Amino acid sequence: MDKNYILHKYLNGEATIEEIELLKKDSEYSSFLKISEATKAFEIPTFNSEETFSALTSKLDKKEGKVRSLFSSKYILRIAAVVALIVTSYLFLENRTTAITTEIAQKENFFLPDASEVTLNAMSNIAYHKKGWASERKLTLEGEAYFKVKKGSTFSVETPQGTVTVLGTQFNVFSRENKFHITCYEGLVSVAFSDTLVKVPAGNYITIENNTLISNETLAVTSPSWVANESSFENALVNDVLSELKRQYPIHIKTALHLNKRFTGSFTHTDLTVALRSICDPLQLDFTIANNEVIIYAKNSN
Amino acid sequence: MTDTVCSEKIYNQIYHNWGKSIFHFIFFKCGDEDQANDLVQEAFIKLWQNCEKVPKEKAKSFLYTVANNMFLNEVAHKKVVLKHAQLQPHKINEQSPEYLLEEKQYHEKLQKAIANLTEAQRTAFLLNRIEGKKYAEIAEILGISVKAVEKRMSQALASLRNEIEKI
Repeated sequence: MDKNYILHKYLNGEATIEEIELLKKDSEYSSFLKISEATKAFEIPTFNSEETFSALTSKLDKKEGKVRSLFSSKYILRIAAVVALIVTSYLFLENRTTAITTEIAQKENFFLPDASEVTLNAMSNIAYHKKGWASERKLTLEGEAYFKVKKGSTFSVETPQGTVTVLGTQFNVFSRENKFHITCYEGLVSVAFSDTLVKVPAGNYITIENNTLISNETLAVTSPSWVANESSFENALVNDVLSELKRQYPIHIKTALHLNKRFTGSFTHTDLTVALRSICDPLQLDFTIANNEVIIYAKNSN
Repeated sequence: MTDTVCSEKIYNQIYHNWGKSIFHFIFFKCGDEDQANDLVQEAFIKLWQNCEKVPKEKAKSFLYTVANNMFLNEVAHKKVVLKHAQLQPHKINEQSPEYLLEEKQYHEKLQKAIANLTEAQRTAFLLNRIEGKKYAEIAEILGISVKAVEKRMSQALASLRNEIEKI
């Protein structure tokens, strides 16, 4: 076999013991083997990996390592995360519904984004989207509110009992439990409830109870009295009157009487005694007040 | 994106894989420890600066090529000075003082002879002998054919033998 070929095999670490023995017999190749083996035993300076690396990194930092690292994927991801967070929170805040709620004896007067004015009576709640207001004037109402709507596109008030739609007018919506009253002071209001649509012209008010139209009457006032801190009733059940009283004053009412009488009149929101007097006197009733507890009884029974 | 050398993690990994080899490679060429250290640093700085252009798989040959080019650019080439390593003591009991002296003289001669090799021969020879690299790998590093590596090895051995046995 070609000894040169075996020599290269040996240098590549692929020669067998027999082949190496064969080379050893030849004086020229045996000295090649000796040189090769002896060279293996030479020591070379150790490479100080850590030291060189720290020298290297300090040079890189000086040159442009830091500039480059700004654009590394890790930083891009961080920036993207922050941007995403800002965008989502912006969208979230923008799409959030604006809600206004009133408690007992509290009234709230505010403007919608198109400068329409809303007065919210006690124990009521209104919610709307600030963002989409320009394209769709729509809000939801629970309770009672008085609207002075700027002229423009359709303005709708959604309540559990039905939807009130107008183009630009002044009207009052009362929507509590199963009672639904709509009073129109100016313009024309259309009321949709169950499958009926009723138009209410200015100076009229309708009463809907349990999805049925009860009455459609005219009135002479130009704005609801409660806006002026007074609740007015016409031929109303005493129970409804007392419910309204409980919304305007933080009180409990106790009575043993069956109050199925009807009441026409009004009471003030500013003085409980005066208010109770104006309800009780015409009905031949009397009352005592103690720690937010009002007891109503028949006048002659004592 | 993940395979670019610009990622610090990959860059560090490449350094730990090849830093030592590059150091040896340059040392075999110039025999100067400090110069080898400097060139290793320079080569890795070049790699970082070009990290977007160099794929991970090409980093090794990029480093060898850059280190070699920078070596060639440096004017002062020093002779390779190799320190004699302590031999493994598996024959220690039988070693007579004469034998040890002989061995020492032989290594000194060999050391001088290696220093007198051409740079091309010496690099190939030491990469094979000390680093234990196969011909194919040496061919890849030096950018030559396996046949050329064989030739350089033969020439190196012949030259070393001539020098040792003459003196």
